[in-house]
Amino acid sequence: MTEARCLRTTPLYDLHIQQQANLAEFGGYKMPLWYPTGAKAEHLAVIERAGLFDTSHMAVLSLAGDGAFDLLQQCFSRDLNRCLGKEPGPLKPHRSIYGLFLKPDGSVLDDAIVSELDGRRYMVVVNSAMGPVVAKHLQQFAAPSVQIMDHTDRIGKIDLQGPAAAKILEPLLADPESVFAEMPYFSFVGDIFPGAVRPLVLADGTPLLLSRSGYTGEFGFELFCAGSDTGHIWRSLLQAGAPYGLIACGLAARDSLRTGAMLPLSHQDIGDWKFGNTPWSFVLPLGPDGRGFTKPFIGAEALQAGSPYHTYGFAGYDPRKIPATPASEVQTKDGECIGTILTCTTDMAIDRVGTAVVSIATSVSQGRPQHFQPRGLSCGFIRINRVHKTGETVLLVAGKRKIEVEIRNQIRPDRTARRAITELR
Amino acid sequence: MKEIDELHLPGDIYYSTEHEWAAKDADTVKIGISDYAQDQLGDIVFVELPEVGATFEQGEEFGTLESVKAVSEIYLPMAGEIVAVNGELEDAPELINEDPYGNWIVEIRPSDMDQYDELLSREDYLEMLKG
Repeated sequence: MTEARCLRTTPLYDLHIQQQANLAEFGGYKMPLWYPTGAKAEHLAVIERAGLFDTSHMAVLSLAGDGAFDLLQQCFSRDLNRCLGKEPGPLKPHRSIYGLFLKPDGSVLDDAIVSELDGRRYMVVVNSAMGPVVAKHLQQFAAPSVQIMDHTDRIGKIDLQGPAAAKILEPLLADPESVFAEMPYFSFVGDIFPGAVRPLVLADGTPLLLSRSGYTGEFGFELFCAGSDTGHIWRSLLQAGAPYGLIACGLAARDSLRTGAMLPLSHQDIGDWKFGNTPWSFVLPLGPDGRGFTKPFIGAEALQAGSPYHTYGFAGYDPRKIPATPASEVQTKDGECIGTILTCTTDMAIDRVGTAVVSIATSVSQGRPQHFQPRGLSCGFIRINRVHKTGETVLLVAGKRKIEVEIRNQIRPDRTARRAITELR
Repeated sequence: MKEIDELHLPGDIYYSTEHEWAAKDADTVKIGISDYAQDQLGDIVFVELPEVGATFEQGEEFGTLESVKAVSEIYLPMAGEIVAVNGELEDAPELINEDPYGNWIVEIRPSDMDQYDELLSREDYLEMLKG
């Protein structure tokens, strides 16, 4: 036996093999790391045009019945009565919200996107292999009237990400006008769960749930469908996207894109330590004064006591990285160890112009040089034992190798995730 | 990922167990990485080169290659002095992916040319890759 564990595959596995993907283990699945185009071309494609990702390894739960709302209010870090809009109003059907499931000690069980299907049913998307773990966690707090179901093995998921995503998707939709008319960022249409009353179908009749979200920081969609439908949707999208330069992308590009977009990877940037003092404090139901929570929830009490850790995003000055390993650490300029590296990767679309970080998506008027050819910048997240301000620098060290990086609250500028669909059709 | 039989492994150069190649040119030897190594690494985004004049022992780390995902040390398959580095790679590290044999990394003057003959032939290297 050469493999100690039996790896799972997604319904698109045979297509990945056909497309000569370089496969690797991730979250218990054998997933594409990159295709023959390479991780750099895939990263750039998503920023300039579009990329297609198999994300069927993500776990999909549904909560249904009386008490589903109360269960989420008790366990999810967002206040579902106050989470949408400037004067935060309640979550409503066809809207999604990002947050955390915390353990009672304030550490992160997993992050999740909760989507309201209707007032009594919710879709909860969590990370690879986390479906049973989160379901079990929720079950212990659930009223008997709440039905928690894990749909991971029957549902596939494909992410179409990049500024050309709407143009590529449009010809596949039966009624693109009505679909796109009601799709702000973090909203969805369709329903593929038991009890669906308002299904969405593609022009060929395939049912799906289409959400305007993703994990790249760029404009795009996530398509949830039956696992058995993933193959023809994948092929149809690649065909429709060919004129726009759409390419299949692997997890390496997904990782570098999300890092540049300041999005955490669960169990790496947030995880089995007390949550707090991170760039992601928006996931907590903070009161209007920024202190105190607007609702009680599992883990809240532990968080009120404060966390000894401070998590920051950073960007380097060239592509050089110090990988996050047990042997690497964060140091002050005087060589004092102050913490650990959580993520360190290279965003290939950015570079320094003077001290500023500029992207291939930055306009010339905003500072992109005419013939900008970025070499990429190392970037990621560190967890340290003290407060640092944006703009201050620390050292990442592994043995003899050491790089200086700047604490930042943004990494890749000029991202497209929140652009209006009308601008990108 | 390339299958073993898809790898391009020229027969007129030698290989190391750490996946470097060495090609003799009169009294100097050019060093690069094999097609297998570049394929495993994926897109190379940065090459850290040694100083010309630096000397290294056989098997000593002389630089690093960084892909989007990883940082990999590169080891000198023969002891010697660096007489030239391929500066083109500093601006275009992807050249190694495009043509790992046309794009050497360093040129050395070996302190013991006998070490060249101790390296792996194409056949030996292929055997090693097949495990």
